[in-house]
Amino acid sequence: MWERMTQDVNVDDDTARRFLEEMLRIDIFEEETKERFGDGEIPGFVHLSGGHEGSHVGMGAAMRDEDWLAVGGARLIGQYIAKGVPLPEIMAELYGRVDGSNRGHGGQMHVADVDRKLYGHAATIGSGQNPAVGLALAEKVKGTDNVAVTTIGDGGTSRGSFHTALVFAAYWDLPVVFVIENNQWAISTPAESLSPDSLSDYGDPHNMATESVDGSDVEEVYRAVSDAIERARNGEGPSVIESRVVRLVPHFEGDKETYRDEAEYERLKEEKDPIENYRERLLENDVLTEGEIEDMVANIQDEVSEAVEFARESPEPEPEAAYEHVYRTPLYGQGE
Amino acid sequence: MSQQVDVQAEQTEQTIRESLNQALYEELERDDSVILYGEDVAEYGGLYKISEGLYEEFGDDRVFDTPLAETTLGGSAVGAALAGARPIVEIMYADFLPIAGDHLINYAAKMYFNYGDETSVPMVVRSMYGTGDGHGLHHGQSPEAWFMNVPGLKIVMPSTPKDYKGLLKSAIRDDDPVLFLENKMRYGESGPVPEEEYTIPLCETDIKRRGDDATVVAIGGMVYEALEAAERLSDRGVECEVVDPRTVTPLDTDPILESVEKTNILVTAQEAPTFGGFGSEVAAQVIDDAFFYLDAPVKRVGAPFTPIPFAESLEEAYVPTAEDIETAVIDAIET
Ligand SMILES: Cc1ncc(C[n+]2csc(CCOP(=O)(O)OP(=O)(O)O)c2C)c(N)n1
Ligand SMILES: [Mg+2]
Repeated sequence: MWERMTQDVNVDDDTARRFLEEMLRIDIFEEETKERFGDGEIPGFVHLSGGHEGSHVGMGAAMRDEDWLAVGGARLIGQYIAKGVPLPEIMAELYGRVDGSNRGHGGQMHVADVDRKLYGHAATIGSGQNPAVGLALAEKVKGTDNVAVTTIGDGGTSRGSFHTALVFAAYWDLPVVFVIENNQWAISTPAESLSPDSLSDYGDPHNMATESVDGSDVEEVYRAVSDAIERARNGEGPSVIESRVVRLVPHFEGDKETYRDEAEYERLKEEKDPIENYRERLLENDVLTEGEIEDMVANIQDEVSEAVEFARESPEPEPEAAYEHVYRTPLYGQGE
Repeated sequence: MSQQVDVQAEQTEQTIRESLNQALYEELERDDSVILYGEDVAEYGGLYKISEGLYEEFGDDRVFDTPLAETTLGGSAVGAALAGARPIVEIMYADFLPIAGDHLINYAAKMYFNYGDETSVPMVVRSMYGTGDGHGLHHGQSPEAWFMNVPGLKIVMPSTPKDYKGLLKSAIRDDDPVLFLENKMRYGESGPVPEEEYTIPLCETDIKRRGDDATVVAIGGMVYEALEAAERLSDRGVECEVVDPRTVTPLDTDPILESVEKTNILVTAQEAPTFGGFGSEVAAQVIDDAFFYLDAPVKRVGAPFTPIPFAESLEEAYVPTAEDIETAVIDAIET
């Protein structure tokens, strides 16, 4: 037997093209975000997803529109895009404008969209698994076969909160898929000293199905998450998947990453970039031509430019908007 | 003024425990999306038997037990409410609310604000507080001050059997997250409750006793102490107005201000330590908006700034009582 240099494409051509296109969409959107942040147009924190794109897209593609995604970790923009939130709404939210997904109330870390079933309020790291349990509980109570997928970083798995969510999901045998995006880093703290061999082993004491996959391979993530979702939908309960990704970006824009080994970092960029690898794979398997990919990139660049224009033109919220939307129902005794 | 109940309606005498159980029963029956869960709430009926019989009546799809993890009780309620259920979660003791605090403070309270559309999380977290049973450090603290400066949360702290029932029903129907605090020392307290179905709106301050000489703003279990103090003071010719906000946040301040404008004296009463507490906020509101009506400095009655002690002698000294309120009113009047 000889080792193949070329990896097969195990999905149909349309799906493969969509995978590449969606990963490029995340990448190009984020490159633009970085520029706009650098120019001072986007305020606050900016955490990018470089290296996680395959994991985000594979996971998003495995889900139905009706399935919930409760996001976690710090690589969020890619997940918003993978769940189908339109680029202009995300960009306008990053800008803090009224046409943003959250009307400027949330920002980069809190893009949320109930119509697209995105529970995206994620900034206490390692909390999102608990609402995911509740989302699945309500779907079960309502008698649907919808599933809740929830993501968390390697850092977040150290929170007790993550583990109690596992306990409840197992106890109630709920349709939850826990996806751990292990990129080896929690800001500057390496994951390697955490005791499990694979972080998906955290599902073992609960007798959950677990799997650890190469998260930089979009097809691997797609397959693993699809399998887990299918089990969940069929009433076979929760699963834990470790998606082994690499972080090819600073923790957030402005992080100098002095803690990383340069040679190793270069090697990862060379070997583990999910987009570059998949691009080559599709070319080698004649799924796409260079020209078609160039067209794809050009189209996405237009989309992203439009998103930026949309955000720039959207008004800043009036100061009164800070007081809106605190309570849903009227305060009987107050005002009026 | 605030009660939407026909005063002529038939009333029965019943306890707070019975009122709560009825409210849960009626709302579970009324709305299929209401679910009740927590530690030992199903077959056991809750540590204080508030949910007794509900599991038998509604089955384990609607009323069920959970493992011991308040973080996930809080967080799962947020998710369940978002996905269309109306969860009522029992946190056995309010001392454990901080364990669920991440989900109450960082998520539940901010969900409507962050989504920015009509999305909200209609959930109720019931929890028990109250001192005087020797339960010590971790089983009786009054938690309202820990949560009352969180915009987006509603905190309800009723006093009478009638209020407990009407307010719990409203809390369950309310579209915002509600922290519903029950005084475990008062579950056996009884009083008149309408026989007909009724609700009492959240965020409406109630006047429990009329009087012209002093305003006592009391919450939760302290309303009973305030009423007792008012009776004793009445014997001495001092008529207190006992004001019961019932909802701590957001606070319906107008009736408090109106009362102080009439009596010119303000005393507040709470079970929690006085410092940084509910009474301090009431005092500040009155100072802001009715300062020139005050004839005397505001007196705040509450626990000392110390943990709840265990020894009977210490606990007795710790818990604020009717005598403390009586003394505070006299002090204010005599200033
Ligand atoms: C509860 C909590 N603790 C700390 C932080 C600060 N913080 C933000 S991201 C981060 C690292 C997260 O690492 P990981 O979970 O692996 O996600 P990644 O950044 O790798 O995507 C930390 C410590 C936080 N936001 N929330
Ligand atoms: Mg990480």
